[in-house]
Amino acid sequence: VRCQQYAPLRALQASAALRGASDEHKKEPWASSSQQHFDSPPAGHQCEEKPQGPHPSYTGQGGQESEDYESEEQLQHRILTAALEFVPEHGWTAEAIAEGAKTLGLSVAAAGLFHSDGSELILHFVSECNSKLSELLKKEQKLVQLGEAEKKPIDEFLRDAVEARLRMLIPYIEKWPQALSVLLLPRNIPSSLNLLTSMIDDIWHYAGDQSTDFNWYTRRAVLTAIYNTTELVMMQDSSPGFEDTWRFLENRVADAMTMSSTATQVQSTGEAVVQGLMGAAVTVSNAGTSRAVR
Amino acid sequence: VRLWRCRCRALLSRPAAAPRARRGLAAGPEMHFGFQTVTEEERREKIYQVFENVAKKYDVMNDSMTLGIHRVWKDILVHKMNPCPGTLLLDVAGGTGDIAFRFINYVRSVRQRQLQRKLKHHQNLSWQEIFESYQNDKFNSLGDSQVVVCDINREMLKVGKQKAQHLGYSEGLSWVLGNAEELPFDDDKFDVYTIAFGIRNVTRIDLALQEAYRVLKPGGRFLCLEFSHVSNPLLSRLYDLYSFQVIPVLGEVIAGDWRSYQYLVESIRQFPPQEELKAMIEDAGFFKVDYENLNFGIVAIHSGFKL
Repeated sequence: VRCQQYAPLRALQASAALRGASDEHKKEPWASSSQQHFDSPPAGHQCEEKPQGPHPSYTGQGGQESEDYESEEQLQHRILTAALEFVPEHGWTAEAIAEGAKTLGLSVAAAGLFHSDGSELILHFVSECNSKLSELLKKEQKLVQLGEAEKKPIDEFLRDAVEARLRMLIPYIEKWPQALSVLLLPRNIPSSLNLLTSMIDDIWHYAGDQSTDFNWYTRRAVLTAIYNTTELVMMQDSSPGFEDTWRFLENRVADAMTMSSTATQVQSTGEAVVQGLMGAAVTVSNAGTSRAVR
Repeated sequence: VRLWRCRCRALLSRPAAAPRARRGLAAGPEMHFGFQTVTEEERREKIYQVFENVAKKYDVMNDSMTLGIHRVWKDILVHKMNPCPGTLLLDVAGGTGDIAFRFINYVRSVRQRQLQRKLKHHQNLSWQEIFESYQNDKFNSLGDSQVVVCDINREMLKVGKQKAQHLGYSEGLSWVLGNAEELPFDDDKFDVYTIAFGIRNVTRIDLALQEAYRVLKPGGRFLCLEFSHVSNPLLSRLYDLYSFQVIPVLGEVIAGDWRSYQYLVESIRQFPPQEELKAMIEDAGFFKVDYENLNFGIVAIHSGFKL
């Protein structure tokens, strides 16, 4: 009788062999990891019996890694990370994922684990960028707390945060319009919207935003509009070092600051959001076609 | 290029009684052949005879029984596979080569698009370079993809080879005689393993699944296209009516062989349903096992990965 609960925690024997070569020591993220070690020695033992022959370069370290199991999600995560390297050449497609799988020693058929339009790859990239941004902001905050840096004024803080986040797109800028259009597919909108809003929330959190009244919504909407419009401008920017984009960003943030001091804050924010969305829709379609033609 | 050891000869030389004795069974396990009960050996023989008889009319019968829809099912299978150039496919019970030909077409068109994209990127080519690239296209139109068609039945393979010649498929195609329960290939060889409308005829499905696991590379994909169970009661009744009343008659009229088609219809009913097959595939060691129903469950595509 196979216990169904073991199924998701079963060791991936291929990955166990592959990870023997990697130097990083991954911590098991699940709370049930100790449970797993206790319960699945039979499965693990069975896995280790599989000859390490096909991967001769990893022998000798397989024994050490026998305690380290990997879930399907972790393996998928690693494939997607490896696939990012091939995006500039192949775009956000199943081909890039297949190439990524190849570098990990897996068959190209492993790209079948994901959707053929590359949605998961893009969402993975976006969430990675968001995590990187979070870490960056956390580090800065720590420096400020330790007194080693000055607390930035709010407009400078927002400007730097958005700029840092957008700079992460630069290596993939050629294919980013394609990614944006995929993210707008109805199937992906819940996830992409979720990632976007959590990033914006993050930035406001580290900016020191403590408000719990309706201002919270307006600030979120304002920053979302700033971020989206700047991203779109960046798609079409051909100036050296994207200086046009950063200037645009500076102006938008300044506008937002002056806007917040007027009494008609809510109304103008609503207008700004609507304008931002309209501009977004038009620019994405233009960006898509212009990039495709080029 | 010989990529694999051929264990066919060793297989045939083993005495027939040995497998049963090894498993410690007294008089052979009872198995189903359609709605009859037979022993394992009898089942293998009978199935071999069925396909020997139907081989020449196999494609015609497929078209008339499924009203041509089987072509769509097979297209969907290859689209789901979404192979990229350089993929090594093993098509088991692939007899007349339907999946193999579709695979070759798909990979060829993907390769064309790849080459076109490469050319677009090279903006400053001289005429000489452009001429050379067009020449090279001819020599690598499949991008090193290959498909091996493996079948236990010699007649089916013969029909398949004839079809390939007739349709002009020569590159990247091999034909191997072999048993799905004991494949004549090395471990970790193939990127994708497909079995379309064949696993129903395998006597020991668990052995076939284990062999599939063995010959696939890590990260490789298992795809199975097979008739399955219809859960909708109304549709199920119509389907049963059609299967038992119409298909054997078609078999008699078109192929002159009512018995084989009676077997076919009965074997569909005896085959495990979607969830059970999914559990069997997981038992063989595959991960991310999933199935997709086509036509409300008349046909299902099961997919699993060797991770």
